Amino acid sequence: MIESMSTTIRERVQRIEAMPAIPAVFLPLLNILGDPAKDVALDEVVRLISYDNSIAAQCMRVASSPLFGLTHAPTSIKSAVISLGLRRVETILLTCCLGQAFPAKKWALDPVVFWRHSMGCALVCRKFSEKLHAADAETAYMAGLLHDIGFMVNCLAFSEEFQLAMKRAVQEELPLDAAELATMGFTHCDTGRALAEKWDLSKDLVEVIAHHHGVEKSQSALPLVALVHLSDLLCRMSGLGYGYYERQKVDFISDPAWAVLLKAQPELGDVDLVRFTFELEEAVLEIHELVSAVLGPVPARV
Amino acid sequence: MTPAAQTAMTPAVPIRQPIDPVYRQIRDLVYKVSGMYKQEEKLYLLADGCSRRMKNVAARTPRDYWDHLTAHPSREGELRQLLNEITIGETYLFRSPPQLDALRKVILPEIVADKAKQITKRLRIWSAGCSTGEESYTLAMNMMEESDGLLKDWTVEILATDLNDRSVESAKAGIYGDYALRSVTDYFKGKYFSPADEKKLQVRPEVKKLITFSRLNLQDDSRMLFMKGMDLIFCCNVLIYFDGPSKTKVVNHFFSNLNFGGYFFLGTSESLVKLNDKFHLVHFPGTIAYWKPSLSSGKP
Repeated sequence: MIESMSTTIRERVQRIEAMPAIPAVFLPLLNILGDPAKDVALDEVVRLISYDNSIAAQCMRVASSPLFGLTHAPTSIKSAVISLGLRRVETILLTCCLGQAFPAKKWALDPVVFWRHSMGCALVCRKFSEKLHAADAETAYMAGLLHDIGFMVNCLAFSEEFQLAMKRAVQEELPLDAAELATMGFTHCDTGRALAEKWDLSKDLVEVIAHHHGVEKSQSALPLVALVHLSDLLCRMSGLGYGYYERQKVDFISDPAWAVLLKAQPELGDVDLVRFTFELEEAVLEIHELVSAVLGPVPARV
Repeated sequence: MTPAAQTAMTPAVPIRQPIDPVYRQIRDLVYKVSGMYKQEEKLYLLADGCSRRMKNVAARTPRDYWDHLTAHPSREGELRQLLNEITIGETYLFRSPPQLDALRKVILPEIVADKAKQITKRLRIWSAGCSTGEESYTLAMNMMEESDGLLKDWTVEILATDLNDRSVESAKAGIYGDYALRSVTDYFKGKYFSPADEKKLQVRPEVKKLITFSRLNLQDDSRMLFMKGMDLIFCCNVLIYFDGPSKTKVVNHFFSNLNFGGYFFLGTSESLVKLNDKFHLVHFPGTIAYWKPSLSSGKP
């Protein structure tokens, strides 16, 4: 990407103040998530969640989804933290905060579709990571949840250009990043990176957001970037894409990201990808319900 | 309470009881042995199938039936019976729209581009285990839809085979009732079918012309050796009945019967489960297939 474009993106991202709906607990939460779990006080997280009644209520609804491991709704935030573990509750909280972060009227991309994809990707990343016994499944979840935040920036700061890219993608059934590049000259990876840097997200998350469509360009956190890349593709092939048909054939085993992840996690060779796909397809309805729990009433699309 | 009041209080959709966890164990066993996976929302179909079989083998509980499937001397035969039960009703026209989308939107353009330089423009498709012809006719109609576009000036040949003579005869007749036609749109009904009687429709001769039906045993090695030059092979709910070594042998035949760049499709809930490491598993939106890499991809 040429330097002037990169500067334009940074400037426009700096000017994004149109996030009135972002809950106050969001940025403190991001800070906490950057700390090792052992250094985080349980009471601090409970306090953050309880700070906002609607967020607290949403967290409880999300926590009771079978996708998060509980079969009965927890009776209090504290009991949710105790049952699910601190890290998982933090990621649930992040999910709920992000769901509220952007006003619906600015979206060229249907927010329900966007959140189904992001949350689906988060859950697949976590599941993959658990199957591979990778270090931190909740970090993988967070990376999956945040990987496409560039689309939010596009909707807010490049609304007209992104409308055109979206229209082209739908009409020509192209992958959205290819349509963005052809129409705007940059992608949600570039705009997402600028927002991630503004938010001061961890270096690994910035890498994921910037390079999940081009793993080979990543300088660090390669296995995490590869994991998100593969999970993103799997979601798009399993009914959790961007709401239109993508003319795409995905050959996972030949994808460079597969080799990267296999090198870091040899257990990947034993994963039955077909069954994993079937299991994801059967979770799609639950993911739809989860998104409804996070977003509340479906916002009108403009 | 009057009968009318009783009817009024009956829920329109029967409320399903929670599934006994043993059915998930049976689902995993079926997947391990046959490669067929019953997804969670279809688990009740597996449970229904098991209930019917339980009566036949006098198993009182799902746990008893699990024991029968895993420890009884007739367990292999019983698993076949169960597979029969759970695949009933899986045969109808236009059964898998994602497969058809992948075929028309991604695969055909790729094959047409791959073969652009060949003098003879010919597409060969094999429906292996065609049963009563629903899949074969679905493929033929979809190919005919492309005859003025992607497949203009191409010859399309569909070979449809089945072990069962009666199925082959029924397939040749091409007469279908409501159940088999339930996913066929009015557009396709009007264009490719004629009324057979008051309740049934018959496939038109111009569709039949594309297909050659014949009897074939997939385990007949000498016949399998002559099925070369296929671009696409469809084999739905057939391999699930084969034991491991037979399945491997048949899949290896399919691999060598395909042209480079060709595709092998199973039923929508089936998996090869590592039966052949030369095929590449490929994903399309909503469906998967197995690809024999093209020579140009450098990975034959």
